Amino acid sequence: MIFLNINNLNVSIEGKKILNDFNITINEGEVHALMGPNGSGKSTLANVLAGNEDYEVNSGKVIFKDVDLLDLNIEERAQKGLFLAFQYPVEIPGVNITPFLHASINSKLKNEKKPEIDNLSFTKLLRKNAEELGISSDMLKRSINTGFSGGEKKRYEILQMSILNPEFAVFDETDSGLDVDALRIVTEGINKFKNPKNSFLIITHYQKLLEYIHPDYVHVMRNGKIVKSGDISLATEIEASGYQNF
Amino acid sequence: MTFENNFINHSKEYIFLDNDILSNQRKKIFKKIIQKNYDKKNNESLKNITISDLSKFNYFYKPIQEKSQVSLIDDFNYEIKVVNGICKNYEDDNIEIRNLTSLDFKSFLNQDNSNVDDIIIDFNKIFLNSGFFFNIKSNTKLHIRLIHDTSDNFTIFQNNFINFKKKSEVQLEDHFNLTNNSINNINYNISIEEYAVIKHNIFQNFANSNKLYLTSNTVCEKNSSYNQNTYNFSDGFVRNFHHAYLNGEFSNASLYGCFFLKNKNVCSNKTNIIHNAENCVSDQTYKGILNDYSKANYYSNTFVSENAQKTEGYQLSKGILLTDNCSFFSKPELKIFADDVKCSHGSTIGPVDESALYYLRSRGISKNEAMKMIISSFIEEDLQNLDKDIAEKISNNLSDYLNCLVK
Ligand SMILES: Nc1ncnc2c1ncn2[C@@H]1O[C@H](COP(=O)(O)OP(=O)(O)O)[C@@H](O)[C@H]1O
Ligand SMILES: [Mg+2]
Repeated sequence: MIFLNINNLNVSIEGKKILNDFNITINEGEVHALMGPNGSGKSTLANVLAGNEDYEVNSGKVIFKDVDLLDLNIEERAQKGLFLAFQYPVEIPGVNITPFLHASINSKLKNEKKPEIDNLSFTKLLRKNAEELGISSDMLKRSINTGFSGGEKKRYEILQMSILNPEFAVFDETDSGLDVDALRIVTEGINKFKNPKNSFLIITHYQKLLEYIHPDYVHVMRNGKIVKSGDISLATEIEASGYQNF
Repeated sequence: MTFENNFINHSKEYIFLDNDILSNQRKKIFKKIIQKNYDKKNNESLKNITISDLSKFNYFYKPIQEKSQVSLIDDFNYEIKVVNGICKNYEDDNIEIRNLTSLDFKSFLNQDNSNVDDIIIDFNKIFLNSGFFFNIKSNTKLHIRLIHDTSDNFTIFQNNFINFKKKSEVQLEDHFNLTNNSINNINYNISIEEYAVIKHNIFQNFANSNKLYLTSNTVCEKNSSYNQNTYNFSDGFVRNFHHAYLNGEFSNASLYGCFFLKNKNVCSNKTNIIHNAENCVSDQTYKGILNDYSKANYYSNTFVSENAQKTEGYQLSKGILLTDNCSFFSKPELKIFADDVKCSHGSTIGPVDESALYYLRSRGISKNEAMKMIISSFIEEDLQNLDKDIAEKISNNLSDYLNCLVK
């Protein structure tokens, strides 16, 4: 099975080219880190994978679990096992966290032709996972991201991941704006979730996060493409002298 | 039938023919309209009104008294059926209900110095054919369900009076059972005495061939509270014009409305709060969801007279436009003549928040479901302030509306 293969992907927005013959292959169970200066196209990549309709895919192919990902719409990709932890999670006042996430998990289960999870079991599962991430049960009564602090938003993204159980999760600068404690909680969440069956693409600016997560591969991106790939030592190099050498 | 012919042919059927003041008013208004001596362009009362609905209609009215009813669900729970404008006369320790008498009306006309330029109210006066008077006695705590039953093809021109006596605490519900082709021009005069607390919920959900012009004028005395919630799910035309006068200090009024339009539905809304006393609080909020080719307007107005210090007055309009072909015109207005006031207004009208839609869909929720979640969230917080059975009724109406979105 091809887990994830992106082949010569070209993407533009409002006529401006952002991804430029982008290539990457990610196998089951692997953790990849993607680093790069601001504006290099990291969030664009994440959003194109998630199916954001603002971007125009000019050419290229994305195969995910043997299907052409670009043929699927946003919700179908999620149901297929793709998850994007947003750089800026949006506030949705009036849409309550708990029923929303319940509907999410059930749409995924339904797509997998598995039985849906009932209210009681779901609430139990949600409480348990929330507790592990230091999310109070009070917060579970609130509207999506509404009035959450930066750290709470990121923690809530991880909670959603832990419930939806995706095979492939993309984290877009989940570490930005987090203090050390919040960073530790978030990375612990990711590490706990990691298993030989699921894969990650971690987009970050900082080496710090990678010290906790231990990626198998580190890629450096510039002007819409990967310019260098290696291991964690690449991140150390960037931390020391920035992106100027790439 | 033209307006003129209606007036001449049916003038013997209108009520209060013996009332000089009214008959003089009628003649004056008739002249004004016939000579088109009114401002058609800048007249808020005519916004989104089809002029031909006023200049030409089939006046038809026959009172049916025997079907009207007052039922007691329990000691404090009344269901009042008003059939074609007529109610059943009834009285007990809590409430007095009767059809309008000449005497009731005379005292109203004598004090009626409202210089509101409203052509719908003019029509109400000209063709007046029915009206009721409710007196809710002091210190009662009641729940009143009022059902307006209008027969096919009837034209109701109704002027009603409701007095809530001191310290009464009432939840009043208005339901409109309109079947076919009816015109309902209904004007409420509500008076709320000291310390009375009134919750007024109004449901409008009727078929396309009916029209409802609902106007209310509420006067609040000291320490009283009036909270009006209007929900419009109708296919037929609705005009909701509601005015509240805060005449006693420490009183408060909120005029809240929500409409859900589709197809070529139209509704016209206006709220108006006049602060005449100190330390009063008012709130005007209208929210609308518009689909297809529907059209709405909302005028909100806060007037603070110079002696109404320590006023708080808020206005808000919110709209979701589901297509490029619908429109929602909103115009807030503040007129403040006192200096120690806190007033604000806000307006957000636009399509569904794309980023919210994207977020929900990215979690595996279908586009339709996500739309429903976002639209429901629009009124979610308001439902929490309503009684459970009413909130449930609105939820059901809302899901019917949302199911129509899925095409
Ligand atoms: N919605 C958008 N409209 C216009 N330009 C955009 C939009 N989103 C991103 N861009 C542009 O695309 C480029 C890449 O942005 P982005 O993918 O956010 O980079 P990164 O996440 O690496 O900082 C930037 O030049 C940015 O200005
Ligand atoms: Mg970014």
